[in-house]
Amino acid sequence: MASEERTKEVFAKLKEAVVEYDEDMSKEYAQIALDEDINPNDAIFDGLVSGMQEVGKLFDAQEYFVPELLMCADALYAGLDILKPHVKQMDLGVKGSVVIGTVEGDVHDIGKNIVKMMFDVAGFQVYDLGRDVPLDKFVEEQMKTESDLVCLSAMMTTTMSGMQKVIKDLKEKNPDVKIMIGGAPVSSDIADKFGADGYADNANNALKDAINMIGSLKKMKDEAEGKA
Amino acid sequence: MSETMTSKERVQKLFAGEKTDRPACFSGMGNATTEGLNKLGYKFAQVHLDAKQMAETAATTPEIFGFDSCVLPFDLCVEAEALGCQINTYANSEDLLYPTIKEKAIHSEEEMDISIPGDLTERGRIPLMREAIGIVKNNIGDRVPIGSYLLGPFTLAGQIMELNDLLKLSFKKADKVGALLEKLSAVIVAVAKEYEKAGVDYLTVREMGATSDVLSPRSFRKLILPHLKSIFEQISVPSVLHICGKTNDIVVDMKDSGATAISVDQKNDLKETRKNIGKEALVFGNYDPYNVLVSGTPALVKETITKCLDEEASAVWPGCDIWPTVPPENFHAMMEAVRNYGK
Repeated sequence: MASEERTKEVFAKLKEAVVEYDEDMSKEYAQIALDEDINPNDAIFDGLVSGMQEVGKLFDAQEYFVPELLMCADALYAGLDILKPHVKQMDLGVKGSVVIGTVEGDVHDIGKNIVKMMFDVAGFQVYDLGRDVPLDKFVEEQMKTESDLVCLSAMMTTTMSGMQKVIKDLKEKNPDVKIMIGGAPVSSDIADKFGADGYADNANNALKDAINMIGSLKKMKDEAEGKA
Repeated sequence: MSETMTSKERVQKLFAGEKTDRPACFSGMGNATTEGLNKLGYKFAQVHLDAKQMAETAATTPEIFGFDSCVLPFDLCVEAEALGCQINTYANSEDLLYPTIKEKAIHSEEEMDISIPGDLTERGRIPLMREAIGIVKNNIGDRVPIGSYLLGPFTLAGQIMELNDLLKLSFKKADKVGALLEKLSAVIVAVAKEYEKAGVDYLTVREMGATSDVLSPRSFRKLILPHLKSIFEQISVPSVLHICGKTNDIVVDMKDSGATAISVDQKNDLKETRKNIGKEALVFGNYDPYNVLVSGTPALVKETITKCLDEEASAVWPGCDIWPTVPPENFHAMMEAVRNYGK
């Protein structure tokens, strides 16, 4: 078991690897975390996710843009792929499965992939339908997997209207399903009008929302385990 | 003041920096309307593939609404298709959808060193575009200016390869991306020349991928701007550079690209832009074509259009394509607001 000091150092290195988009460093310190018996779940949250939070701040400050965000995401995944097999699925009484995709007519998937990443981090079962997804497919997949969260993304105004139809269909078939919409053209007005439960209008806001969401999941888990 | 100019005279004078009888209300981006399609009995998925249908559809917008331009095509895939990408027109979908790229031409970093086909301008829908431009030119070209558009090199690169890869490689392998952009710039110029020969009165270059929402102003200046400059140097007709999203940090660069006018969307602070690029520069914009023109009320349309002109837009022009389902009463309200401005 690593000392508290060493543990902190490993977290800091994982964070740095994400911020500096260094995939090799991320892999190296993820392996070190495992070798030195550091809790992999903490390594993910206090290292990798903490790095991604910093990336979000740099994005807000216009020091980082989408290319950097994508490279940081690659670094996060490099570490996550090593740590994740050693984390137990969070059991919080939530189902923890999500259907995600970009609606038909839209082939942009960067924002969608950023959100997907955070669900991967949180240990959700992610059913990624990809992009340019026929509208019926969302409803079909939700029913099949009984997921209680569906995330729809549309980068273009011209494809956004398709989301309204999916939301209506989903809510009719399963009133309890939660729906998040994302993409440059969405706004809180649109989310209200379409009947969505949440929205994010850019990759970074999606990232922040997702971090907040999994942050509160982690807190619930810690409380359940009597850690907090 | 009543209207004393045709749309064509008005737009020509605007580009020449001369006075017009009233502000021009036009676009350089797609603006087919459901109203026009219904009148002709055409389906949106079909009009991209037939020169006559495309030309007739494009002409309905100035005919029905008095819009100051006739623009074609309606999708963003023409150049990518000529470079070997396959498109999807969603012919079987019940929903109104714009064609997208189904199969990219470049699948990996190794494939970025593409060779441009010698008969590029005979490929894909370029011949169809020539024909369609010829038809509208012949039918209404004496009184309505004919416009068309091309993608900017970075946006075109994002059509023919994964945007994800393109963005990352812009950092990791900037030289490779630069070489690709140079080739694509030559493609854009070659296609622009074809459109000019076919009779367009102005051309818009849409470099949406280079918005400051996505790419840093630093990357834009270093990687993309030199190519845009070279393209605008070679376009003979009046030209417009359109970039959507956040653009306030790059409007001066946009102006320096050499385009006759720049076009920005509703995210741009027009007053700020005016301060930065001066009184004389042509800036077109900047109403939200969806949230105002399509889903707003006629009152909101009028208020928004008046605001564009109050903030010294050189012409009333949408932030993107006009989505076909625009309610006719909103379109008419826009034209009325322009005609009555300052009265």
